[in-house]
Amino acid sequence: MDFFLQLLFTGIGIGAVYALVALGFVLIFRATSVVNFAQGEFSMVAAYLMVVFAVDLGWPYWVAFLISIAGMALLGAVFNLTVYYPLRNRSFLPVLISTIGASIFLSNSVLALYGPQPQVLPGWLETPGFQLGPVYLDSQYLIIIGVTLVLVGFQYWLFERTLLGKKLQATSQDKEMATLLGIPVAEMIMITFVYSAVLGGIAGILVAPVLFVSIQMGSTIALKAFAATIIGGFGDIAGAILGGFAIGVIETFGAAYISVPFKDAFAFLVLILFLIVRPQGIFGERVAEKA
Amino acid sequence: MSRSAIGQLVYALLAASLVALTATVKTDGYVANILMQAATYAIAVFGLSIVLGLCGQINLAQAAFFALGAYAVALGTVDHQLPFWLCLVGGMTLALAAGAALGLSTLRLGGHYLAMVTISFQQILTVVLINATGFTHGPDGVSSIPRPTGFTSVQAFLALVVAILASSGYLVWRLADTRLGRAMRAVRDNELAASANGIDIFRTKLIAFALAALLAGLGGGLFAGGFSYISPDQFAFADSIVLLTMALLGGASSPVGAAIGTGLLILIPEWLRFLKSVPGLYLAVYGLAVILIVIFMPDGIWGYLGKLFQARERERPKPAEQLTLHPVDSGAPMALEVRGLRKNFGGLKAVDGVDLQVRRGGVHALIGPNGSGKTTTLNVVTGLYRASDGAIFVDGVDVTALPAHKRTVAGLARTFQNIRLFRSMTALENVVVGAERDGNALIKGGRSALWRRAQAALDFVGLGHRVDERIPSFTYGHQRLIEIARALAANPTVLLLDEPAAGLNLSEKKALHDLLGRIAAQGLTILLIDHDMTLVAGAARHVTVLNFGRRIADGETADVLRQPDVAAAYLGVSE
Amino acid sequence: MRFDRRSVNVGLAAGLATSMLSRSARAADTLKIGMVLPATGPAAAVGGYALAGAKIALDRINKSGGVLGKQLELVTEDDQTTNPGAVLAFSKLAAQPDIIAFLGPVRSTQNHAIANDILKTAKPFCFGGTDPALTKMGNPWMIRFRPNDTYSARVIASYGVETLGKKNWALVHSTDAFGASGNKLLTAALDKLGAKVAIDQGYPNQSQDFTPVVLAIKSSGADVIGSYFTYENDQAIFARQLRQLGVTIPWVGSPTTVAAATLKLAGPALWGTYAVADYATDSSPEAKEFAKLYSAVSSAPPDLQSAWPYDAIGALSIGINKAGSTDPGKIRDAMLSVKGYRGAEGEYNFDQFGDGLHGYNIVRNEKGAIVFDKHIEFTD
Repeated sequence: MDFFLQLLFTGIGIGAVYALVALGFVLIFRATSVVNFAQGEFSMVAAYLMVVFAVDLGWPYWVAFLISIAGMALLGAVFNLTVYYPLRNRSFLPVLISTIGASIFLSNSVLALYGPQPQVLPGWLETPGFQLGPVYLDSQYLIIIGVTLVLVGFQYWLFERTLLGKKLQATSQDKEMATLLGIPVAEMIMITFVYSAVLGGIAGILVAPVLFVSIQMGSTIALKAFAATIIGGFGDIAGAILGGFAIGVIETFGAAYISVPFKDAFAFLVLILFLIVRPQGIFGERVAEKA
Repeated sequence: MSRSAIGQLVYALLAASLVALTATVKTDGYVANILMQAATYAIAVFGLSIVLGLCGQINLAQAAFFALGAYAVALGTVDHQLPFWLCLVGGMTLALAAGAALGLSTLRLGGHYLAMVTISFQQILTVVLINATGFTHGPDGVSSIPRPTGFTSVQAFLALVVAILASSGYLVWRLADTRLGRAMRAVRDNELAASANGIDIFRTKLIAFALAALLAGLGGGLFAGGFSYISPDQFAFADSIVLLTMALLGGASSPVGAAIGTGLLILIPEWLRFLKSVPGLYLAVYGLAVILIVIFMPDGIWGYLGKLFQARERERPKPAEQLTLHPVDSGAPMALEVRGLRKNFGGLKAVDGVDLQVRRGGVHALIGPNGSGKTTTLNVVTGLYRASDGAIFVDGVDVTALPAHKRTVAGLARTFQNIRLFRSMTALENVVVGAERDGNALIKGGRSALWRRAQAALDFVGLGHRVDERIPSFTYGHQRLIEIARALAANPTVLLLDEPAAGLNLSEKKALHDLLGRIAAQGLTILLIDHDMTLVAGAARHVTVLNFGRRIADGETADVLRQPDVAAAYLGVSE
Repeated sequence: MRFDRRSVNVGLAAGLATSMLSRSARAADTLKIGMVLPATGPAAAVGGYALAGAKIALDRINKSGGVLGKQLELVTEDDQTTNPGAVLAFSKLAAQPDIIAFLGPVRSTQNHAIANDILKTAKPFCFGGTDPALTKMGNPWMIRFRPNDTYSARVIASYGVETLGKKNWALVHSTDAFGASGNKLLTAALDKLGAKVAIDQGYPNQSQDFTPVVLAIKSSGADVIGSYFTYENDQAIFARQLRQLGVTIPWVGSPTTVAAATLKLAGPALWGTYAVADYATDSSPEAKEFAKLYSAVSSAPPDLQSAWPYDAIGALSIGINKAGSTDPGKIRDAMLSVKGYRGAEGEYNFDQFGDGLHGYNIVRNEKGAIVFDKHIEFTD
């Protein structure tokens, strides 16, 4: 039982990271019908920014954090303008490839600028963790879970309770109609990219103390997050988040009770099962095409 | 000799000289390795030209099929001492089976979902290759893979690979112009229209996947022989992405594009090695190059260059042929009959117990206010939707349970409210797709009869002089005519027209009226949905009126239009 | 799709022509040594260390007059940490006729990939991969500059069982070629010494979480851990979680356990661990001297990644001088006939397979400082 609880905690912890990155994915997808293969690199760049400001320059943690997030917002904007916007009227495949190119560009630029050595980023709390009965709670994981829940709550409030959120939703559901209703679609998409980059960045900064800062840190997470969005239903936010947690837990338990070497396969096996049995995901609905 | 035959001859000569060149000119190991990698990858990318370029289906597992071919050759020759060729064929068969299995998933899924199934397959295979050590040698990989006798030197094997590359490139090139190729392109351009024109979209996609996997398996097997050592980390998801990028950058639907894309993506990092003093810089530039190419060359590099070279292949002028419409007549009283049809969408009863009898010959109109269920009825009749209840008979044959493409075989043809033509094809090709549906008795004599019929159909609608232009160059009204020509070329028993006058101006509507008359004069039965009462009153002898999914009137046009509840349904009741 | 006349292979032909044009001949007044290393990809960190180590040896030799009266020059190519990348990098170097010898990657799987091309090129190839099979393939040009894993496994087993007296082992290893092979050898060595394997845990590289592995170790009742980790960040995450979940049994690990990058990432989590290390600063005067030279060019502590290329360049220069010519066969024979060459990694006595080192050091992590414990050598 002890082990079960420990595994559950870790699974939820890593699942929260997947959920955050998945959230960024889903938002961009809903707004633009584009799968952003560079989403993981957002997390990686933000972590490196933190290393530069908080570790190399020694600035206070909060200051470094805010500046890094601002940097990510800027990156999101630039990303939108260079990678998505010129291709906005084309089908999803060219944009997909463009995001792949962006992913290669980002990871190798960081490599060229910073060098290949993995870096250490300290966590938010001084104490590394707490022992709660038989379970060790890594404090960084606690923070990750907490922040994810806060962001999910914020997400809900933004989309359901504010006018901006409604406009964002309208843009993602029907761009043409939104334009006709006077919603500045290009602005909405820009906001979406900026927000997604910030979300990805927060995820990266949160997980860096646990996984260390390295050039590859983003891509390993991103693929799982991508799978999470499918399990949850490709257009659905709640689904992506739940999918993220689900994958974290499935992976961890699969590794513990079935086989560690095959743990990467479990997420994808579940995914295939879902796609065969319930392709619309847990929540997603398929939109019928008008003949 | 026709243009296309000259093209093929030139291809053959160039291919032969390239093979000879490779076999005789000594290259150093570096260049040989690059060519080996490029050539084997290009074969796999040809596979993507088929499934993605021609058929429009996304496949992110190409590296997995590549791996199946490579491992079949490696394990077969090294562990079991089987001959190279046997293992290669075995690997290709294995890849084909896997591709078909993956293609089965297209029955339910498309777009991003399909992408994820392929990614999952890829990931799972990679994990299995690494961990099933007893069978696959695990992460150690398999080394000392032999080459087939007679081709053991690098030079000879490379020449062999280039020869196979040229042959498969030829097959992929010619595929686009075959019936199967046209079916794939139709599926890519407009699935619904493809289905309505008699194409079994599921089977077409399945074949596309299978062929793509087959080629990848071939490439993989040759790769194993070429490099003599394979390991699981060479066939990961990242490699599927690389193959996909090669296809898209070069130009997805052509083997030339595929070859260019492959060559470039292997060569660019090599050319950029001079930037090696700053680690990562050259790959960063490479990533940037990918983005720029995608933005500025939307059809890929070959699509961009190809436009410069493209000469339209003019078919020799054909003797003008009259379009014959010979609708099948089995003697059943009604050409089309619908009994008690129901279609529910959740709680909404879109079609609520509709009966319809369409007499043979002449025009029968189906009208009703917006939302009355006209198009839904049409869609259920043609098979786009499954009926919730009721039965449909075409020329006396019960087609209720048949999928859409089979109903076309049974004699239905239709046009769509939102014009659904295959936009990448010419007008003539669009009509050919219609004409080549299974069971079309009027095309005997093979290919030339097919093309003559298509030409005749376009002549019939007045566009015979513009057959080689692509769809986007036609006006909306003309596109409508092409769609009708496509339906006529199939020699249907019943022609269903869904709001054909929508979006037409006055003179175009008049031309449509005349066309309908000419079609009816040949004895074809037409079921017409439209809002334009002038057209309906002028063209249709019989009319059925729907409102809220139910039939509220049926009979001769003049009588029905005078009925008060029909007027009320359209105009409302005055208080 | 309509076509006129064109060649399907225009792209390939163009590429071929251009690449042929891009090679130029250079005057040979230096002796060139080619080096394949990862400048990009997951192992990029290692590439930097390797280059630093090789350069130190190069500068030192060049300062004292070079080899055969000429200066040594290093020509590098990036292998991108992939197998095809390694093949292309090596064959690019091999195409340059004035390169007389090569330094290869430290990853065994990449060395496997290049092996065929090495055979064809027929020039000495010094490498750092530890898969024992690499010197048993009958390839006379492959010369290994680190002790292979048969020795690391036997040393881990010997130290753990005989010196620490622990007989109930938990084995943790990466599922890649290095980890799987090392683990197999370790299991065999333990079996020979009569020790028991309580649990055998493989993990895939770049795992983000090791909780299941740690919990499995906890419940297995093992009294010692033996490990083969490939990547430093995996090892650091594992070490952290091991301590978080309260596992304090002794741990004898593969060389990454004391690699510079791992120490930096894991910090206190690795204090008190043992490792087999082919390079240990205090193991010999030569090792100390290398450490001194290295600290002048890098703030990171020296480790095997920089030490073996340093030794390889040194051995190559001895071999070339001894052969008195740049003939590859003569260089190879000269190198293999070298006995008692004292490098930073130890004393090289090349056997007929091309293995120069036959033992490992045991070191201990004393609060972050790597302390040399003993050296275990095998003569069989």
